[in-house]
Amino acid sequence: MSILKHYRTFKGGYKFFNFTGQPQDIIIDLGVPKVIFIPLRQGFGVEVKPVVKVGDQVKTGQIIGRDDENVSSPVHSSISGKVKEIVKKNYFGREVTFIVVEGDGKDELEKLPFSEKNWEKLTEEELETKLYLSGVTSLGPSGIPTRYRSSVIGLKEVENLIIHGLGSEPYNICLKTLLKGKNIFYFIEGLKILKKLLPNAKIYLCLNSEEKRIIEEIGKLTSDIQWLEISLLESKYPQGYDEMLIPIVLGKKFPYGYSAANIGIISLNISAVLHVYEAIVDGKPLIDRIITLSGPCFKENPHIKVRIGTPIGEIVKDYLKSEVKVRLIMNSLMRGYELKDYSLPMDRTYTHIIAIPENTERKLFSFLRLGLHSYSYSSCFLTFNKLEKYPDTNIHGEERPCISCGYCEEVCPVRIIPHLLSKIVVKHLVNEKLMHYGIFNCIECNLCSFVCPSKIPITKYIKEGQEKLIIQGCDRSRCILPYFNLKGLEEYQGIK
Amino acid sequence: MIRKILNLGYQLLEKNKKLKKLKPVLEAVDGFFFGTDKVTTFTPYILDYLDIKRFMATVILALLPSVLASIYFYGIRVILIILVSYIFGGLCEIAFAVIRKKEIEEGFLVTGLIFPLILPPTVPLWVVAVGIVFGVIFGKEVFGGTGRNIFNPALAGRVFITISFPKIMTVDWYQPLVSGWAGFNRFKPDTVTSATPLMLYKSDKILTSFKDLLLGLSPGCIGETFRLGIIIGGIFLVLTRVANWRIPLTYLISVFFLSYFGNLLFPEKFGPPIFQLLTGGLLFGAFFMATDPVTSPFTNSGKLIAGVLLGFLTVIIRTFSGYVEGVMFSILLMNAFTPLIDYLVVERRYKPNNKR
Repeated sequence: MSILKHYRTFKGGYKFFNFTGQPQDIIIDLGVPKVIFIPLRQGFGVEVKPVVKVGDQVKTGQIIGRDDENVSSPVHSSISGKVKEIVKKNYFGREVTFIVVEGDGKDELEKLPFSEKNWEKLTEEELETKLYLSGVTSLGPSGIPTRYRSSVIGLKEVENLIIHGLGSEPYNICLKTLLKGKNIFYFIEGLKILKKLLPNAKIYLCLNSEEKRIIEEIGKLTSDIQWLEISLLESKYPQGYDEMLIPIVLGKKFPYGYSAANIGIISLNISAVLHVYEAIVDGKPLIDRIITLSGPCFKENPHIKVRIGTPIGEIVKDYLKSEVKVRLIMNSLMRGYELKDYSLPMDRTYTHIIAIPENTERKLFSFLRLGLHSYSYSSCFLTFNKLEKYPDTNIHGEERPCISCGYCEEVCPVRIIPHLLSKIVVKHLVNEKLMHYGIFNCIECNLCSFVCPSKIPITKYIKEGQEKLIIQGCDRSRCILPYFNLKGLEEYQGIK
Repeated sequence: MIRKILNLGYQLLEKNKKLKKLKPVLEAVDGFFFGTDKVTTFTPYILDYLDIKRFMATVILALLPSVLASIYFYGIRVILIILVSYIFGGLCEIAFAVIRKKEIEEGFLVTGLIFPLILPPTVPLWVVAVGIVFGVIFGKEVFGGTGRNIFNPALAGRVFITISFPKIMTVDWYQPLVSGWAGFNRFKPDTVTSATPLMLYKSDKILTSFKDLLLGLSPGCIGETFRLGIIIGGIFLVLTRVANWRIPLTYLISVFFLSYFGNLLFPEKFGPPIFQLLTGGLLFGAFFMATDPVTSPFTNSGKLIAGVLLGFLTVIIRTFSGYVEGVMFSILLMNAFTPLIDYLVVERRYKPNNKR
């Protein structure tokens, strides 16, 4: 019997308006790309070592990089063909090794070992090995533990597993699309696999309280599962982050600055569970992913199924509007990455490609307009939630001194006073006091910078303050360690 | 067309080196008309539409009922007073922006409008100029400009001229015009009275009717008398989240309760609660001046504390001091205590070893 808990919420946060270009309910398969660029560092863990040489013939799904000693997951080739070169490249600010594979168009899939139609017959060790080899283990922000080092904690140490399908970002993957048709059964099957793998864990499923149909369906299907608890949560940003999920779902304090795994909690999203199912039952390693093309600058906003390693330029080229100047942002408008080089490939961690217009237009009396389509935390504009909002990159005003309006404090989900911290940092008064004010609790959700009417980059200043404090020899662990019994600390520090 | 004039202005500045110092002025005008073309360069990639201009424009919008009513009651001269306040205050602001080589900030738009509204209608124009210049310079600029000031600049100016020219500021009041078009086609009212409702109560224990107080039919400061408009504007401000609800609410509640109990115990000293709420500058002060985000505490509990203390101070000053009006002094006093309140609240909240 699963328990449907009523939704709980947290103080602060921000419910985003209805932005134009939400993903539509269709999935398009992009097919097999000609060339792929596979970064050897994807998702959770350290960079793996290449196990192929230039000139080698590889099959789809063949492991081309692995490292069983350190926390990591194997990396696969997502097409079949020949290894063209192994290069180092700058990948979002990090030097990462890439394996370039040129396809031969055959696309032969090399399945994972222990193929067995009925997964329940597999032993736990076999399940673990299969899951590890599939690469699915690196999908969550803290990894799925196996006997091989794929997470900072061991299998038996996991006390809670949180699976969330919340859409709290400005753009979200459509749950309806993801769990369409048979996928919902696969999803529940995936949950059962995870339960077998992590016998000591209690599993929590967090769903968006607005998705009534999905909740009902899952509720019906899981009514005989004892170990599953479903909680309904409000889709308020940044609800989807571990730092918010854990205090709300489990009532535990979060060790800010560390990983959820350090307190024995693993969090995964719904597509990760689907990938677990695919890996175990179909024997298919992690070679593709469903991502969305969202934002007003795409002609359509479908979900697309893409092979990992496909250059992003190739993914978006048929969909991008040509008449406007576009900025591409990966994953999240609030804390994603700006994509400048379209030749970079997508990796496992991607969920969204967002295209918003680069708005440099100056409007006459922009501050006096009614603002039917202006999104704002305050209610200074005449607008309604239902009206579509067009996100753009304009900063909508000049930078001004802080007037202590308190918006940043109201939206802050971790209850610090962002404007106070940023003022202290700007004045160069960085000292221990900042630590008492909770500067290390900041989870960089960027909401304070978003709502600021004076357009002050508050999060940037807070981060600057954190760096200065660390340079001064301030030990951030002092705020955290005495209050928690953390697991796998050394490994975690190794990853960072 | 405005674009062309502005471009011409920029060209002039390019050529003439002496004029270059005036660049902030031109930039401010440019920004006022056209907004900005800057784009975000790091996370978050989208920013809220609200900017300080809109923020201040919302306050001005909320003040409009009071401004219109004051013109109706006290004649076209009110417009002249507002203009003098804007021009002289604006000049000070520009001078400081030029000296500091910084942008001109929009906070002044509100100060320049609030200041004339809290003056008596008989005020001579030169006093308005002196007051606003003092307010802007010593209330704001000496502290480093908008966002750093401790005192509300409009109130600082008001207190300065009240103390310097007590006779001008407290003796003569106009009886508001009411019939027909009233002040819309008259320069100023003719009837001079010597007593506002609060003075009447203090000297003769006469209670003015609530209807007169709400609609502004009794004498008082220019923008403070049309209380219905002030309440509407204040609620608008609270609903748009420009003003926080905490200060006005606790302020009014504490005035109400203090005068209620005071009136029960010493009926000859304390005025009755509703009368206290509707007289003087209380509503105007509570909604438009005590809520000024810069000079009021930024912590939520600090706001509640400040509101209660404000009410306390106001009733005490009104009842026991020589001044009949206590709002101005109590807000200014509370401004001085704001940093202390904030400090105490923050220290308490983030006490070491007191993990939330």
